[in-house]
Amino acid sequence: MKSKYIGIVILVVIVLAGGGYYFYRSQTKVQVINGYLGGEKIGLFEDEEIQEILKKEYHIQIDYSRAGSFDMITADLSGRDYLFPSSQTALELYNDTYGKPIAEEIIFNTPIVLYSHKNVADALEREGVVSQVDGVYYADMDKLTELMLNETTWSEIGLPELYGTVLVDTTDPTKSNSGNMFAALLANVLNDGKTVDESTVHGVMPELKSIFSRMGYMETSSSDLFNQFIRMGVGGKPIIAGYESQLLEYAAENPEEYEKIKDDIVMIYPTPTVWSTHVYIALDEEGKQGIDALLDSEVQRLAWEKHGFRTGGYDISSEGGFGNVVGVAQQPTGVMNMPDYEVMMKIIEGLK
Amino acid sequence: MKQIIKKWGCLLIVVLMLLSILSGCSMELGQESGGTTPIDGIYQGSGGGETIRILSGSENKELGEILEQCAKETGVTIEMTYKGSVDIMTELQSGAADYDAVWPASGLWLSLGDTNHLIKYDESISTTPVVFGIKQSLAEKLGFVGKDVSVSDILTAIESGKLSFCMTSATQSNSGASAYIGFLYALLGKSEGLTEADLDDPELKEKITGLLSGIDRSSGSSDWLKEMFLAGDFDAMVNYECLIIDANNTLVEQGKEPLYVVYPYDGLSIADSPLGYVDHGDAKKQEAFLQIQEYLLSEEVQNEIQKTGRRTGFEGVAEENKVYFPSEWGINVDKVLSPISMPSEPVLMKALNLYQTSFRKPSLNMYCLDYSGSMQGEGNAQLVEAMAQVLLQENAEQNLLQAEQEEINIIIAFDDEVISTYMCEGNNAEKLEELYQVVAAEEPGGGTDMYIAAEEALWQISQISNLEDYTPAIILMTDGASETGHKEEFIQQYKELGKDIPIFSIMFGSAEPEQLEELAELTNARVFDGSKDLVAAFRSVKGYN
Repeated sequence: MKSKYIGIVILVVIVLAGGGYYFYRSQTKVQVINGYLGGEKIGLFEDEEIQEILKKEYHIQIDYSRAGSFDMITADLSGRDYLFPSSQTALELYNDTYGKPIAEEIIFNTPIVLYSHKNVADALEREGVVSQVDGVYYADMDKLTELMLNETTWSEIGLPELYGTVLVDTTDPTKSNSGNMFAALLANVLNDGKTVDESTVHGVMPELKSIFSRMGYMETSSSDLFNQFIRMGVGGKPIIAGYESQLLEYAAENPEEYEKIKDDIVMIYPTPTVWSTHVYIALDEEGKQGIDALLDSEVQRLAWEKHGFRTGGYDISSEGGFGNVVGVAQQPTGVMNMPDYEVMMKIIEGLK
Repeated sequence: MKQIIKKWGCLLIVVLMLLSILSGCSMELGQESGGTTPIDGIYQGSGGGETIRILSGSENKELGEILEQCAKETGVTIEMTYKGSVDIMTELQSGAADYDAVWPASGLWLSLGDTNHLIKYDESISTTPVVFGIKQSLAEKLGFVGKDVSVSDILTAIESGKLSFCMTSATQSNSGASAYIGFLYALLGKSEGLTEADLDDPELKEKITGLLSGIDRSSGSSDWLKEMFLAGDFDAMVNYECLIIDANNTLVEQGKEPLYVVYPYDGLSIADSPLGYVDHGDAKKQEAFLQIQEYLLSEEVQNEIQKTGRRTGFEGVAEENKVYFPSEWGINVDKVLSPISMPSEPVLMKALNLYQTSFRKPSLNMYCLDYSGSMQGEGNAQLVEAMAQVLLQENAEQNLLQAEQEEINIIIAFDDEVISTYMCEGNNAEKLEELYQVVAAEEPGGGTDMYIAAEEALWQISQISNLEDYTPAIILMTDGASETGHKEEFIQQYKELGKDIPIFSIMFGSAEPEQLEELAELTNARVFDGSKDLVAAFRSVKGYN
């Protein structure tokens, strides 16, 4: 009789404990959300420190597939909880296609920069296209655009070892944001330095097209373009357009490799330039959880310190530098507005 | 007491059940692999680790030892399947369900193929330029040694009959495609911005047709091109620098003349060999993939890879490894390599289609098809399906295998004698479909004698007066051991004809591998295994001619 009693007690205890544990688990269960991500943010999403914060504090794990900012809007969205493109234009394209999302939020920013090699930067400096101020390289976009429009060859500016004409390689402006923003920047420059609008976009398209038609095959991901730039040496990609965050992240994640290339790789701030706004779009309630998590102050700090994204609370002015990377501008000068959505769509259509 | 055990036993079951619910334990269903995918190389990892199936360009065959070591150290088993770049692209476009990773020669095919956004973690493992390797003495005679050479210089040598070369098919293999695009730019006098309108220029057509007429032999894969080159007697080949180095090592070993490497400055491209993960949502595979990739990118292994003649690292080739890039072969690792940019997707696809249908040297395909009794049923059905892929132009187009406008296709149906011979000239889709209908209508029966069919093929060839205007090949498919009564006679006839005609054979059913290998060796060709997938084997063979 006694043993029977003990048995029941133990059973009850175990059921209660089990139920409690189950309840606890369901409260802290890590939810996996899934979406499309621009390639330049992969490093951040693969960061174990950030993953840990998302898991512990927000009980989510963010999985991703890589897609260009514009490609992702037109991709199959079934089963996806979020999109994380790199510009407001992509968000507006989403609004235009699907209507307003459940939630959207700007997570961080980074300016569009040019990456080149020392000998190319030197040649461009001799041509008066590039100049240095306090150890930071700036490119005069008027002059650079002129070189490209005139189909100036590399050998004409003293680089006979490079074949072909001066061209800034970009990602596909119709699919990926960094190429798209550089196209917008060129359009503004071609419009005498004024942001193109409905009335002026038509006039700049022929020249813009002539530049992009010479580029041939363009990568659809900013990360692929940057990796090729780093990997292939000066002959492969003499000069590309990318995000400031890319080199900062590279240097933070691969300090040894960065030491080897830092004398050769030059980051150049185009003047004027444009800011890339990385905006998170929640597609459903699950996806919504990503917003608070990514705006977590620790995540924001790591986004700057390890991945080079300028955030509300953290950027170069607050920290006074970025690790071992030289030539990071306090604040890019001559920041321009992007053309509005309708105009951007005209540019994309024109370049297709 | 017995009762207690019973009760406790009951309790135990409840506890176990609870635990299994709580731990979220679930049955994991093993993923069945496709089964039809041929595996060309397995590198066994230690003790029950994950298996990563890699779809790769054939140039990575040379990394066998490194992959073997990789499997040992990471414990991950690596299965390699080698295909051409275009095949890798189309495989990716259709989801690449049979593979966990892709490793094409160039990132271009990966970007063009990843329409489903499946690729993650792609990293270039090494780089190597696509170059001309020309017999040293000939390179000297042509004045190519020790100076900058342009594609036009090479074209001049070809036009004057001083140079002929081997190159992979531009529509099947990255090295061929890269070289071909380089030729187009150079012939147009452009450094970038190839357009669709450029491709319609009749003057360009004349020039590129002239240049491609200098091709002795083609191939569907870069690695096999090298093997073929070594087994034959050719002047030059277009291939990756690393495979020219590899070929030269063999040539020097055999006491033969090495090839001199020419980097055409106005048509150069670089293969960047990206290894990317194909995400099918399996976390364990992903981890195993990353282990392999990390291993290959480690400083030590990158150094090993460099010793195989591939360029790695930011600082170029290390001083101590320069011995693997001998400058007396024209190899120059200090020169800045400035590649052309590949054209945009629609222009590239148009260029490749034009190569296939009108620019390349026309093929002369002689299909010897086995209609012996053992082919009845499934065998014959597969054969008919395979020929549908090759002959029906709307199918062929999917794999860039269309007929060229002057191409000749001959069908020789055989059992223990030649049943019938059919011919179709040109690339008229309806005529080729008629040829397919013939294949479909033929009934199997009788014994097997492939030698008698091959003899018929040789006779057909001897009837063609302008054979030098074609790249001829005999494509022999058989499913059984042949009678050998006509074997010696055939071999004698082949030697007497004295032409470089490869006999590619496709092994099926109970074909005798030795018989086919013997023909491949005699004619500097290769045997394809059609036993798992006859259709795929026919497609591969077609890519070689």
